[in-house]
Amino acid sequence: MTQCARTLLFLTCLLTMLPASGARAETNWRRLIREIEDQHTGRSSRSRMLMQVATEHWQRRLEMAGWSLGRDYFLVRILEPAKERGVATLKADREVWNYLPKVDRVIKIPSSMMGGAWMGSHITNNDLVKESHIDEDYDFTLEEETESYWRISGIPKPDAAVIWGKIVYQIEKKRRVPQQVRYFDENLVPVRDIQFDKVQLVGKRPTPLRMTVQPLDKPSERTVLEYRELVFDVPVEQNFFSLRNLKSRRP
Amino acid sequence: MMLTLALRNLWRNRRRTLLTLSAMVVSVSLLILALGVFSGMIHDMITSATEQYRGHLVVSRSGYQDDHELFATFRLSAGLQQQITSDRQVVGLSPRLRAFGLLAHGPNTRPAELLGIDPARERQVTRLQQLLVSGSYSVGDENGALIGQGLATRLGVAPGDELIFVTQAADGSIGNDLLQVSGVFATGDSRQDNQLVLVSLPWLQKLMALPGQVHELALALQDPLLAGQAASRLDPLLPQGLDALAWGELLPEMQEAVASYDVSRLIMAGILYFATGLGILNTLFMSVMERSREFGILMALGMGPWRIRGLVLLETLLMSCLALVGGLGAGIAMTFYMARVGIDLSGSLSPITYAGGTILPRLHAVFEPANLTTPALLLVLVALLAGWLPANRAAGLQPVVALRED
Repeated sequence: MTQCARTLLFLTCLLTMLPASGARAETNWRRLIREIEDQHTGRSSRSRMLMQVATEHWQRRLEMAGWSLGRDYFLVRILEPAKERGVATLKADREVWNYLPKVDRVIKIPSSMMGGAWMGSHITNNDLVKESHIDEDYDFTLEEETESYWRISGIPKPDAAVIWGKIVYQIEKKRRVPQQVRYFDENLVPVRDIQFDKVQLVGKRPTPLRMTVQPLDKPSERTVLEYRELVFDVPVEQNFFSLRNLKSRRP
Repeated sequence: MMLTLALRNLWRNRRRTLLTLSAMVVSVSLLILALGVFSGMIHDMITSATEQYRGHLVVSRSGYQDDHELFATFRLSAGLQQQITSDRQVVGLSPRLRAFGLLAHGPNTRPAELLGIDPARERQVTRLQQLLVSGSYSVGDENGALIGQGLATRLGVAPGDELIFVTQAADGSIGNDLLQVSGVFATGDSRQDNQLVLVSLPWLQKLMALPGQVHELALALQDPLLAGQAASRLDPLLPQGLDALAWGELLPEMQEAVASYDVSRLIMAGILYFATGLGILNTLFMSVMERSREFGILMALGMGPWRIRGLVLLETLLMSCLALVGGLGAGIAMTFYMARVGIDLSGSLSPITYAGGTILPRLHAVFEPANLTTPALLLVLVALLAGWLPANRAAGLQPVVALRED
């Protein structure tokens, strides 16, 4: 009897809550995704990263130093291996530049090459540029909700110039951190997964410090990017992210 | 006896015979000339498609020509080279490594295709050295580059200028180095002019972290039209995983263009010879009708219908042989003129790129044995066919009726 009453009560509560949560969901999901996409940059940041790439043809292990300001500026410089030390990437707004110490030149990546691999990994130049605008270019809906996570899918806005046909985020409720993001191509075929783990407090915010990019058509390949050091709200100005600074060789 | 008779019959109405003969001579010689000019156009197209970039025959890993996969490389061993160059058709071999990446000069960046070559061997296969618009044909020992005109314009470079090449090397690192423009070429084919760059093979092998490796061997053959046969001869000799592809397989549209030329050649010959055949038929019919009495007498004297038939056919055969002497002579002379001098149309036409080849704005002939034998054999055949009806008519005459005719 009590059992039955409790169930009824729960159902009634659920039914009355549903319309309310549906009405304010859209903006909430967008804000949540923005939080997720900016989790490693914050207002500004300084980091040390280790990137390990395994492909059919090569293994790479890169140590890098990075700085970021907002979502539109970041600069990454390779520290190891020695052969590639000083190679640097600058993202400013929607442009990507590479600095090549061997020839001491800066090169802008043209739009035709934005789909190319970044530093020989499974991350593309487009990921660097467009990923930071996902919350603006997609519309989000809740696909599934369990005790522990939300599954939110993003569909591109009709007029948005985007890479992915659909993006599905699985986000842990308690700490509001992503567990997995799955990317679909324009035919809605899943093409790659990014797994997040090693969640630690950075400042006051729980942040997954390791992400694993897994192309689904090549199960033996992957790129693992791990933050060895991540500090938010560092004093860094916009003029730090200039071509002149990109060329300066200090690490 | 038959031969003298036939000759005398031909000579009896000299004007008529000469008129028919001249029609035959004109049709044979014009056909030979037209086929020569057709062959010239096909030759121009194949040459432009193969000798500017591809080569007549290409040896590479299976599938490489479809996707240009960076890792589909192999090593050119002395034994493999020996095996290929010992083929009687092969007159040149150029090992190449291909890389795609970015070329930059100042603020300008363009995607480009780099082809690592050994200039001394590459010039046996392609004619880019004849298509230079500035600079010299050399990639130096180090970092010289020959660059297409369209690409040079877009990057704003001239010989002596510096270029940066950036790509993803075979070990995943960012391959980058400086190049110096040594020459600019213009092929007329926009795909090559807008993205192709020739660089030194060892330089590119080092940059791409592919030491000693090549993607393809481009071969030059004595006769490009025999590339298919050479490919099937070479294919079984190659190590496992390597294919020999003739230009016809690399450029199927071109193969079709050549086949369609063959068809239009046939149609043209057909029309020309149909008209000629009607002329012959007319002449012989008239001559047979006029000679009804004569045939009647011959038959009355005991000549069988088969010999009568033979006599008329012999007359046609003699006439076509005479026509051949004149027609071949005139045809060869005209083709020779068109091969040596030709007619330049560049004042009113610009080059046309079609099916991967470039048709030059000129009329220019090429000698091919088939262009002489086909018209000659066809003429004899058409003459005999046209002679058959009058011959039958003559053979079918009744001596009594024929003798009464006036």
